Amino acid sequence: MLNNDSQLEATWLQRLQQNDEQALAAIMRKYYTALYNYGSRFTTDEGLIKDCIQEVFISLWQRRENAASILSPRYYLLRALKNKVLKSLHQHNIRLGTVALEEEYDFLQEFSVEKLIIDKQMSEEQATILRKTMAQLSKRQHELIYLKFYQHLDHAQIAGLMNLSRQSVYNLLHETIQKLRSLWQAELFPPA
Amino acid sequence: MKDFRLYDISDFVIDEDFIRWVHEQREEDNLFWSTWLQQHPDKHLVIASARRIVESIQFQQSNISGQEVEREVGRLLQTISTQHIKPEPRTGKVIAFKWWYAAAVLLFCITSAWYFYFRNTHARPFAYAVMVSSKQLIEHVNTSQQPLLLTLPDGSHITLASKSRVSYAHTFGSGDTAKNGATRDVYLLGEAFFEVTRNPHRPFRVFANEIVTKVLGTSFTVRSFEKDTTIQVTVRTGKVSVYKQAETKASSKTSEIILTPNQQLVYERMGQTFQKVLLSNPATITSTGTDRTLVYDEAPIDRILSDLSNMYGISIVFDSDLLKKCTVTADLTNEPFYRKLDLICSAIDAHYEVIDGQVVIESSGCK
Repeated sequence: MLNNDSQLEATWLQRLQQNDEQALAAIMRKYYTALYNYGSRFTTDEGLIKDCIQEVFISLWQRRENAASILSPRYYLLRALKNKVLKSLHQHNIRLGTVALEEEYDFLQEFSVEKLIIDKQMSEEQATILRKTMAQLSKRQHELIYLKFYQHLDHAQIAGLMNLSRQSVYNLLHETIQKLRSLWQAELFPPA
Repeated sequence: MKDFRLYDISDFVIDEDFIRWVHEQREEDNLFWSTWLQQHPDKHLVIASARRIVESIQFQQSNISGQEVEREVGRLLQTISTQHIKPEPRTGKVIAFKWWYAAAVLLFCITSAWYFYFRNTHARPFAYAVMVSSKQLIEHVNTSQQPLLLTLPDGSHITLASKSRVSYAHTFGSGDTAKNGATRDVYLLGEAFFEVTRNPHRPFRVFANEIVTKVLGTSFTVRSFEKDTTIQVTVRTGKVSVYKQAETKASSKTSEIILTPNQQLVYERMGQTFQKVLLSNPATITSTGTDRTLVYDEAPIDRILSDLSNMYGISIVFDSDLLKKCTVTADLTNEPFYRKLDLICSAIDAHYEVIDGQVVIESSGCK
């Protein structure tokens, strides 16, 4: 069902390999919002996110002779961006003297509940419950469902991006979904 | 085809096709799911629950406009067309492509012309010749094979390496700060060792191709020949800050980097990236007369590491909780820095790594 998209992307990557700047521009246009959004999960510094995205595409351009071997541009770009952003945040922290391991990055929790109240006519009460449940999830769980439901990555890609095994991605996802599910069943559809 | 009849709520929630249907409501998906539900009416409740869960997972959309995206695309295209990154023989030229190239070159020329017009000290491109033209500067060129020692009006010393040149304003260092600006600016092509007289009110800046090194009063070396692919800044004493010239005007210096003694910054001019490394044979920063003897008898590890850290000005990262029971008995006075680390680590069964200009000690602790 997604064949048209991936065929188009394959054409872009081929053209990129043949030094076509416009193909690079097309890829950037397509993924900019998704990348920017992902970047803003790690920092609120917009300038830094934009600079990191630029660097990701410059290095894609530098490596364009291998462009056709990129199977999923989305995954490639997200991964490159995460590395860039965490690296520059890490350097920033060192300068401030707060040295943290790179594994301990923040994943900003920004579930939009307000949007749901408007779009799906959810009650304030339901929204409160949802907010509470979301707050109970760990940062890793947030990142996981973000990658799954916002970026639409498959389990292998999520595993690669989060440095987890596929099995732990599946387990973590399952656990998260169970939590959400029990919430909906217990709180929103109480046994009559 | 997946057999959705066997699916539980959770299975639907994490199914890619199902998620896409909920999120995007595509025509073909709508058709598929309404048909499927007609065939499996008992699944209505399951599908409804799964839908609600997927719908409840909403992330804040980033508010980046199409206009902003286009500006970033333009910025990217300009960077790659002006940088000539790894030029390769072009095959199968497309006419539209050549037009774009011409447009990019034209845009670049206009931007440069604009910068020249305003005679900005931070003008692009950041080649030495461009930076020193249109300014009334005093220039020293070292054509000999010997290093040349220069003294600046403010008392700072420059040891200029062979085949290098340095320039500064003839008003450099004079007291009238209002007229001469609040900084002491030097332009360098090649390699030089700077010993800067301390003056916190007037930062000393070295412009070397694309990067700027800013200090208050320290000693350091900058190496930046026009043909080199890297620019190197090495700190002997004190602290320096390094950033790209391109960012001097921007409000946020996102990649400003602080260097401490025995650290070296390597700037890759092609990739425009910084890398911080430690020198292979770090020198002590305390003057030799006050050199401390490093003889330890059952000394706690954190004391030894902090002594080392102070002595070389190199930051050493370790888990003090984990290592609090570790003690070392050794005489480390005459060993080079890395040998000292080796000895300490082997004594407490740990190992170290140099990451980003710092030493990181890894250990599972002592009993």
